[in-house]
Amino acid sequence: MQSRGEEVLKTAAITKIYPDGTQALRGVDFDLARGEVHGLLGENGAGKTTLSKILSGILRPTSGDVFVNGKKAEVRHPKEALKLGVGMVHQHFTLVRNFTAFENILLGTDVNPKGAGASKARQEILALSKDVGLGVELDAKVEDLALGAQQRVELLKMLYRKVQILILDEPTSSLTAPETVDLFKAVRRLKEEGKSAIFITHKLNEVLEICDRITVLRHGEVSGRIEAANADTKTLARMMVGRDVVFDLVKEPSHAGDPILEVSDLVVRGNRGEDAVKGVSFAVRRGEIFGIAGVEGNGQTELEEALSGVRRPSRGKIKLGGLEISSLSNNEIRKHSVGLIPEDRRQMGLILDMSVAENSILGREWERRFRGQGIALAWAKVKDHASRLIRSFEILVKGPDSPAKSMSGGNQQKVVVSRELTDDPDFVLAAQPTRGLDVAASDYIRRLLLKTRDSGKGVLVISADLDEVLQLSDVIGVMYEGKLLEVGPTEKMTRHKVGMLMGGVKE
Amino acid sequence: MKASIPTGTSGLLSSVAESAFAAGVGFLASGILLAVLGKDPIKAFYYLFEGSFGSANNFTITLAYAAPLILTALTFAVGVRAGLFNIGAEGTLYVGATAAVAAGLIHLPFGIGLLFVLIAAGAAGAAWSIPAYLLKSYRGVNEVISTIMMNNIALFAMQFVVLNYLLDPARSDKSASIPVDSRFPTLLPPNLTVAIFFSALVCFGVYYYLWQTPGGYELRAVGLNPEAAKFSGISPRRPMLYAFLLGGITAGLAGAVEVAGTFTPFAIYTGLSNLVNFGFNGIGVALIGRNHPMAIVLAGIFLGALQAGASSVQIAGISFEIVEVIEGMIVFAIAAPQLYRMFRRRLK
Repeated sequence: MQSRGEEVLKTAAITKIYPDGTQALRGVDFDLARGEVHGLLGENGAGKTTLSKILSGILRPTSGDVFVNGKKAEVRHPKEALKLGVGMVHQHFTLVRNFTAFENILLGTDVNPKGAGASKARQEILALSKDVGLGVELDAKVEDLALGAQQRVELLKMLYRKVQILILDEPTSSLTAPETVDLFKAVRRLKEEGKSAIFITHKLNEVLEICDRITVLRHGEVSGRIEAANADTKTLARMMVGRDVVFDLVKEPSHAGDPILEVSDLVVRGNRGEDAVKGVSFAVRRGEIFGIAGVEGNGQTELEEALSGVRRPSRGKIKLGGLEISSLSNNEIRKHSVGLIPEDRRQMGLILDMSVAENSILGREWERRFRGQGIALAWAKVKDHASRLIRSFEILVKGPDSPAKSMSGGNQQKVVVSRELTDDPDFVLAAQPTRGLDVAASDYIRRLLLKTRDSGKGVLVISADLDEVLQLSDVIGVMYEGKLLEVGPTEKMTRHKVGMLMGGVKE
Repeated sequence: MKASIPTGTSGLLSSVAESAFAAGVGFLASGILLAVLGKDPIKAFYYLFEGSFGSANNFTITLAYAAPLILTALTFAVGVRAGLFNIGAEGTLYVGATAAVAAGLIHLPFGIGLLFVLIAAGAAGAAWSIPAYLLKSYRGVNEVISTIMMNNIALFAMQFVVLNYLLDPARSDKSASIPVDSRFPTLLPPNLTVAIFFSALVCFGVYYYLWQTPGGYELRAVGLNPEAAKFSGISPRRPMLYAFLLGGITAGLAGAVEVAGTFTPFAIYTGLSNLVNFGFNGIGVALIGRNHPMAIVLAGIFLGALQAGASSVQIAGISFEIVEVIEGMIVFAIAAPQLYRMFRRRLK
C-alpha cells in the first residue's frame, strides 16, 4: 500500500432521501487524500451523482457530515463549495454557449472580461492552461468548440477559481479517444501539483488507468473499496453488479419464430449532434424477449426514440414485420400494432395533469369505441375502458377520475403499460420498464412482459438494470458507447460477462 | 360510482376562494392608494358598484362591456390550453370588426344579415391568425412575438381600410354603420342586446370542443405535455392550428359583437377608439377565469363591471387615469396567482 497525502475531504455516514422517498445514499463514508485520484464507480442509481452533488453543494444530505481539510463543512451552495476549494465538472456542461471560452471562465468572478484586470486574468488562464497542457482557444465561442474543448474550458474555469478538489462526473462520456488521453495527462499533472480529484465513471478500464483508489457504490451503499493497484476489471465488475437476485421469475422456454423487428446498421444522432447510436444491428423474433443491457447514456435513449419514431435515424434500416419504418413518424408507426413503453414515463408516457381515464386513451382518442354519436367523446365509454384496465392490470387508484400525478410511480407505470399492451400488439418496446419502481410493481410488470412473449409477440427490453435483463431476456445484447458490444443467448451471457461488457471490457 | 365527465372544473372551488381573497387584496391596495391621494375610498367603491350594478340600466352597461371581453378572453384561454401564449386577440378584434362593418354594407333581411356579419368576422379572424401558426409551426417563431407584430399590422391596416373603403359618407369620424337588420337584436334598450348571450353561447361551444371532443382532448394534451402527446401518436401541428383558428374566430367575433351588438355607434371610429384594449383586457379576463371557458363568462362580467363603474367613479372627483390604475391593480391581484402558475410551468 502506497503512502497517501493528508486527508482533504471526508464524508461520514452520508444519507440522502429525496422528497419523493427515494433513498439514494445509505450511510456513505468516503475520503480523499491530497494528490489522490479517487474513482467512484457504480451502475445507474447507485448514488454516484447524488454523492458528488452533495460534495459540490448542489444538494444537502439528509444526515451525515462532510469534512473539508479536517474541518466540518456546511456546504449549502456551489459557491460555498468553491470557497472551500471544491469544484465540479458536470457531465453535461454548464457553459453559456454564445459566450467565448474566456467570458465563460470569468463568469461569476469579479473580473470583467472587457474591463480592467482582463489582460491579467488572460495571462493567468494561459499560464494555467500551459501548466496542465489544456490548450483552449480563449476567444472562440463555446458553441463552436468541440465537446473535448468545452470540457477543457470547464476544467480551466475550476482551476482559475483555485479549486483544490475536482469532481469529474463521467468526464470521458463525450470525449474521443485522443481527447481522453489528453484529459488523463492533465489530471496526472494536477495530481503532481498536489490537487485531488474524484473521478466518477462506470468505465472499468478508465478507473483502473487513472485512479489511485476506487470506491464502488451499489444501491446507495459502499459495496467495496480497493487500491487500484490491487484491482482488476473482474473484481470491480463483481463489486459493481453484485450477486443478489431479489426474486425469481418462472420462465417457460421460449418458442422463437420469425423476426418481427429487424434493425440494421442503425446510426442515430443525439441532442448535441454527436452519433449516439453508432451502427447497431439486431433482430427481435416473435415469442422472444430481446434484452439490451448497458449503463444509461450509452445510446439507449436515442435507440428507443428512433425505434419509436420520435427521432429520425441518420443511417440504417428498421423493419417492423418486414415493413421499413425508419422514416415513419410515431403516429404512423403506431398504426402497425406496436406497444411503446417509454423510458421516461412521467414526461413521455403520461400527461400527469390529466386523469387516469384521459390518460388511458392518449393517442387513441379518435377510435370509434370511445365515441358516441357525432363528434363527441363518450366519456362513459372511456371510463369503462379505464376501469377495465384498472381491474385487469391491478392498478391501485381511487378511480378513473383520479389525476395521474396523484399515483405512485409503480401505478403510473401500470397505466402506461396497460394502455400499450391492452390491444395485443405484435411488437412491444419497453425502455427502462421498472426504473424507480418498488419490487412488487417491478415484478408485476416483468411478468406482464413475459406473458406478452409467451403469447407469441416480440418484446424488446432496454434496461440499465442488469438483474432485469438477465431474468427476462432470451437473447442479450450489451450496449456500450453507442454500439452493441456482444449479442448472445442468455445461457451464454453470464452476469459476470455482461457486467464486464457494461463497463466496456471485452474478454 | 358517479359517471362524472372531465370538465376541467376540478379545483375550481378553491380557485374561487383564491380569487375572492386576491380581489380583496386588490381592493384593499387600491383603497390605500386612494386614501394616500386624499380621496375617499369608500365613496369611490360605492360609485364603482353603483355604476355597474346599481340599476338595471347600469347592469346592462356592464354586460355590454363584458360581451366582447368574454370572447377575447377565449382567444387567450384556448391558446394557453394548447400551450400557447397567444396575445393576438387585440389585432384580430380590429380585423373582425372591420370585416363585420364591410359585411354590413350589404343589406340583408333580419337575421340573415347578422349571420353574414358574424361569419365574415369569424372567418376574417381565423384567417388573421394563420400567419402566427405558420411561423410557429414551420419556422419556430415564438407566438408572442408574431402576435404582437400582427396586432400592430392590424392597427394600421384596419385604420387604412376604414378610412379608404368603409367611411360613412355623411361623417368623417367613423365608418358606415351596420344596418339595423344586421345587428344583434336589442332586448332592453339601449344597452342590452343579444350579444352577451351570444358570447356565453360561444363560451359553451369552446368548452364543449375542449372537453367533449377528441380534437379538444388532443389540444389539451399537447398543451399539458407536448412530448407525451407526440410519443402517443398525436401530431402536435393539428391541435396547434385549431388553437390558433379558434382563437382567431373568437377574437373576430368579439369585433363583430363590439360593432354589431354594442350601443352606438354600430360602426368603427376612424382611430379604432371604440375597439382598442378589448383584446388586451381579455387576457386579464382569461387569467381571472383561470382559462376555463365557463368561468370566463363570470370573469368577463366582473371586468365589464369595473369598466362600467369607471365613469361613475369620476363623479366622485377621481380622475379617469386613477380609475384605470385601480382597475389595473384589482385585475392584477386576481390574475397574479394564475400568471405565476403558468410561468412556473413554462419555466420548468
